[in-house]
Amino acid sequence: MLDILQAVSDGVLFGATYALIGIGFTLVFGVMHKLNLSYAAASVGSAYAGLLVLEVMAGAPAWLVFLCAFAAGGALGYAVYLTCFHFIPLRSPLATLMATVGMLLLIDEVIVHATNGMPQAYPAIFDDVMLRAGAFTLRGDLLLVFGVAVLCMIALMVLLYRTRLGLATRAVSQQSVAAQLCGIRVGQVNAMTFVITGLLGGIAGALIGASVGALSPLLTTPLTVKGLIVTVIGGLGSIPGAIVAGLLVGGFENVLQHFRGVTERDLYVMLLLFAFLVFRPDGLFATKGGRD
Amino acid sequence: MDFYFGLAQLVGVHTLLGLSAYIVLLTGQVSLAQAGFFAVGAYTAGMLTVLAGWHLVPALGVSALVSAATACAVGFPALRIKGLMLVVATLAFGEGVRLFFFNFDYQIAKGEVKVGPLGGEGFRQIRFFPEHGWSTLEVMLFIWCFVLLVMALLWWIDRSRYGAALRAVGEDELAAQAVGLNLTAIKVSAMTLGGGIAGIGGGLYAHYTTHIEHSSFNILVATFALAYPIVGGLQSVFGTVVAVIFVQAFLIEGLRDLGDWRNLLFGALIVLAMNLRPRGFLDARTLASLKRVFGGGPRA
Repeated sequence: MLDILQAVSDGVLFGATYALIGIGFTLVFGVMHKLNLSYAAASVGSAYAGLLVLEVMAGAPAWLVFLCAFAAGGALGYAVYLTCFHFIPLRSPLATLMATVGMLLLIDEVIVHATNGMPQAYPAIFDDVMLRAGAFTLRGDLLLVFGVAVLCMIALMVLLYRTRLGLATRAVSQQSVAAQLCGIRVGQVNAMTFVITGLLGGIAGALIGASVGALSPLLTTPLTVKGLIVTVIGGLGSIPGAIVAGLLVGGFENVLQHFRGVTERDLYVMLLLFAFLVFRPDGLFATKGGRD
Repeated sequence: MDFYFGLAQLVGVHTLLGLSAYIVLLTGQVSLAQAGFFAVGAYTAGMLTVLAGWHLVPALGVSALVSAATACAVGFPALRIKGLMLVVATLAFGEGVRLFFFNFDYQIAKGEVKVGPLGGEGFRQIRFFPEHGWSTLEVMLFIWCFVLLVMALLWWIDRSRYGAALRAVGEDELAAQAVGLNLTAIKVSAMTLGGGIAGIGGGLYAHYTTHIEHSSFNILVATFALAYPIVGGLQSVFGTVVAVIFVQAFLIEGLRDLGDWRNLLFGALIVLAMNLRPRGFLDARTLASLKRVFGGGPRA
């Protein structure tokens, strides 16, 4: 019983990173009604960019690495917007989809090229801290991951619901033509959405690196798949949905890993997704008209 | 010369993969499940020739049927959802198939060695071509017979009433429904046809590589399947072939001298191609001007 509880808590804590990735997908979808498949790759890419600090300044503190990953995430997000969305007409949704796939491959290859495909060690924070309650433990680094992720989500909510930019973003996501008629610069809002999701992605990538202990380009594909699953289970375009679904998927996969082993784990996550698609195709928190 | 025949085999198999996504894309659905159907076809055909000792042609027929049936079964529930939800659902299905074969063991002893699929190690010794002494050229011609057959079929469909219905659904579902088209029938039939084509492609793929494993059918393959018709353009089946040649022959083989840089260029060139030609290489205008050059003046 305790084993299961342990597996659930570890999984839920790590699931916070899935939630962040899911938020990135869902936010871009909500605003532009487009899928940015390069998002998870960009997140991992910006986590790698954070490591550049250690190249320049050996022995730099871990928070500096995180900060650099955060900034690189924003820059990469803007770059993705420029290359995959800005110049391609809105009438060709397939072209933007394909361009983001191209970007995914490009980021992956840049990583492989820069690191010769070797996994890179990532600085951890609080990895020596363990909270114990009898045989039940909470890993300090996972708690940090969870805490930072929650802070990011709160910051995002404040940004969306308390600032003019957030108001504009929500307006564009509801009705972009009407928003344009009100004098909102839709292009600018779209670009800002990419920067914001990029910043979140940078944090998510760094957190994943810190809690796994290493970064590898092999992370991008599973993260993309998990992020998309989280988005769909949570309901397309719904941020609370992505958060709940992220934690749910994290806990679920860790329990099944405990029982069935790591090779079969993802098979059950797919089955969970199918169960949702059949019984609740709109996801947990479907926004009105959020189904395509 | 054998190198070029080998390349032509590869192009042929990938063309089939691309065409299987092409017909599904015509109805406006983005399916990342094609790699899954491809895998089902590959494993079915391989098991029939190796374990049951069938000839390749009937094995390909059965693998096409099995893949088509799988696609039909996936099509019904998946079509309750559309657009991006479908992308994710089909992606999950494709990954599910891959993970299934990752955990799939079915080996029988044949003489000294055990043959058959063995989980993560994959399925070795699919040696139909070497056992029957086919040369590279013969294999290539064999593969291209199927490619041309499928292309002819799709070309004909494009000109039929059914093809018009497919494109109508792809352009505007509501309008298509309003003129009395049965959306479910059209979407599921397109998915089934695509599955069948992927099944043939997978069967051929298994036999020319002689070794398949779960990782040969990952998401990358699924995105390639989608990339061919999108990069090539959805106006005509030839777009897919052009894109396969561009990607496999030019980007992958032609740029081999560049070493590491080739992979970097690959993604960048796809991004560039989509920025410059959002409707694909062979879009409506290019096709019209090509027709004028080769077809003796505009007909429309």
